[in-house]
Amino acid sequence: MSPNPPRKIIHLDMDAYYASVEQRDDPALRGRPVVVAWRGARSVVCAASYEARRYGVRSAMPAVRAERLCPEAVFVPPDFVRYRAVSRAVREILARHSELIEPLSLDEAYVDVSTNKLGLATATEVAQAMRAAIREELQLTASAGVAPNKFLAKIASDWRKPDGLFVIRPEQVERFLEPLPVARIPGVGKVMEQRLKELGISTVGELRQWPAAALLERFGRYGQRLHELARGIDEHPVQPDRPTQSISAEDTFATDVTLAETEDSLRRLAEKVWAASRRETRVARTVVLKLKTAQFQVLTRSQTGSTPPASCEALTATALALRERIEDHGQRYRLVGVGLSNFREPEELPQPGLF
Amino acid sequence: MHIRHVRNELLGALQTVVGVVERRQTLPILSNVFLEARDAELVVRATDLEIEMEVSTPVQNLKPGKVTAPARKLYDILRGLSEGAEVSFEIAEEGRMLVRSGKSRFTLATLGAEEFPSLAGIQADTQVTLTHKALRSLIERVSFAMAQQDVRYYLNGMLLHIGPQWVRAVATDGHRLAMSELALETGVKEDLQIILPRKAVLELARLLDGGDAEVTLSIGGGQIQVQLLNLRITSKLIDGRFPDYERVIPDSQDRRVLGQREKVRAALSRAAILSNEKFRGVRLQLEPDLLRIQTQNPEREEAEEEVEVELDGEPMEIGFNVTYLLDALDAMKTENFVLELRGPDASGLLFEAGESTHSKYVVMPMRL
Repeated sequence: MSPNPPRKIIHLDMDAYYASVEQRDDPALRGRPVVVAWRGARSVVCAASYEARRYGVRSAMPAVRAERLCPEAVFVPPDFVRYRAVSRAVREILARHSELIEPLSLDEAYVDVSTNKLGLATATEVAQAMRAAIREELQLTASAGVAPNKFLAKIASDWRKPDGLFVIRPEQVERFLEPLPVARIPGVGKVMEQRLKELGISTVGELRQWPAAALLERFGRYGQRLHELARGIDEHPVQPDRPTQSISAEDTFATDVTLAETEDSLRRLAEKVWAASRRETRVARTVVLKLKTAQFQVLTRSQTGSTPPASCEALTATALALRERIEDHGQRYRLVGVGLSNFREPEELPQPGLF
Repeated sequence: MHIRHVRNELLGALQTVVGVVERRQTLPILSNVFLEARDAELVVRATDLEIEMEVSTPVQNLKPGKVTAPARKLYDILRGLSEGAEVSFEIAEEGRMLVRSGKSRFTLATLGAEEFPSLAGIQADTQVTLTHKALRSLIERVSFAMAQQDVRYYLNGMLLHIGPQWVRAVATDGHRLAMSELALETGVKEDLQIILPRKAVLELARLLDGGDAEVTLSIGGGQIQVQLLNLRITSKLIDGRFPDYERVIPDSQDRRVLGQREKVRAALSRAAILSNEKFRGVRLQLEPDLLRIQTQNPEREEAEEEVEVELDGEPMEIGFNVTYLLDALDAMKTENFVLELRGPDASGLLFEAGESTHSKYVVMPMRL
């Protein structure tokens, strides 16, 4: 077990954020199914109000599908300027309690309240105070999870959503994790879930039976992480203002294209990503290619080189090489994306030294 | 203390030393200037504990004495008074100095002269004599390459390497290096290397005139002192080991470019406009009679320049920080220059064509 005293982490997640902001600002939308999405045949849902979710509308689904599921829904184009302003206000509320805030996106953040500024007795009280302030001052609701680490706090915030608070105390961790489906573990997607299932693992309790070495052998470094997460161990600190994790650009095609037809787009995206990456002081070691099939299956291929791509041409070449690794069964694609991640301090500057 | 003199002379004295006074001081007295009336002179002194400058100017000495007064304020007051006006400084009461000129009166807060730190009292082991012109030339040809606030503190200055019959000035920021050598009639028996701090180098460059008058450098006890007529500059030396510069100056290269300095300089500075602002990269393509210069920035804007040159050797392509090339070309004086190269990963060497001053500029290439 960790030798340090347990940390107190809050994961705060705004409920149906963009849709809630729209409903708050336009009384006519309250109580009605609201879908935030751009106009356009190929746009996807940015957010859906809880009224709309009852019809099965979810974030990231095509707007057309949402319309079919819920014909009475009111479609609103997103207004990120306003959402960002509200996010700042939320952040100010969080900062009353702790400066250790790690925003994940506009609508969620981790806060380390192992010590809190106002001297409240428990992290639960801090989370309650945050949620109350958000409700009173911003007329919005947020769900919060309180736990000894980020991994558990994130699961906890989802546990009583919407407008809920859930606390996992250090002594409750094992009991809580035991029946949890492995799919709830961050990083376990459909593929990993299937691979675990083939080993007879579907709950975290079952995962815990496996020794670290066996997981390491099967899943590499992620196996080590699985082993720790299954025991509720996650030492990742809350990182205020964390630096760029990745830079990427995507194109959704007006009509689905073949693999070969993605090339122009891919070259353009590589240029865009390269230009953006030049504003970073660090260099990216991993190049990622992403494709989404007409059936919404997401395929990614990545390459981590010993040296980061040194030019736009090199990045483009790597992205094209990654495309070769996609098995082409003649399917069509609706989206292509190029990304850089794994940013590191440059071990080697472009300007070598004299001495 | 009570002195009287014309405004221009007093302003000149203040102007000479006021650059040493740091704007933000930890020690309050360091924002003051030391004033002492003795015999028929006023001695004006300023220091930042690293460098000290003392100038004396003849004045009408009505009452000997010494005091320290706020340097910037006194300087600004003198500057604001009309040219040719007569000005007097007088210790009026404890802790106050009165500055009077015509119908203007200023009362400045003073601090005791005994508290004012001094670097003086140097034990000179070595003395080297040069002309103003020679010392100024050495500084002008290399000082641009000094590092600025580098953690390798010994690079934040200029090396003076004194041999039996020559003196070399060397400066480097770790990516490029400048070296200039002059013959000395009387050098030192054993090689001596000292590093002058950046501030002392810049002050010297400002104060040396280009004449043939001699100037003597007295070195000892970790300090250097330079006497220039009525001005004495004393500076601590940087206590560190300068990198082995001789090792990084390439001696034989297999490609030699001869170009017109002004033409190439102009083409490079135009191309520099569209170089990456952070890395300042420029691509040089060398062909038998042609130098092609290319730059590109993250916005995909591009510049291309072609300049006639003479190339002796195989064509090649190499990247450099354009600022380093421009600095070197700017420091040269001749009409033509030479660029010697070995390969795209090896440092380039620039020098004046057919010149006897022996200045060399080494620039590391850049991966583009």
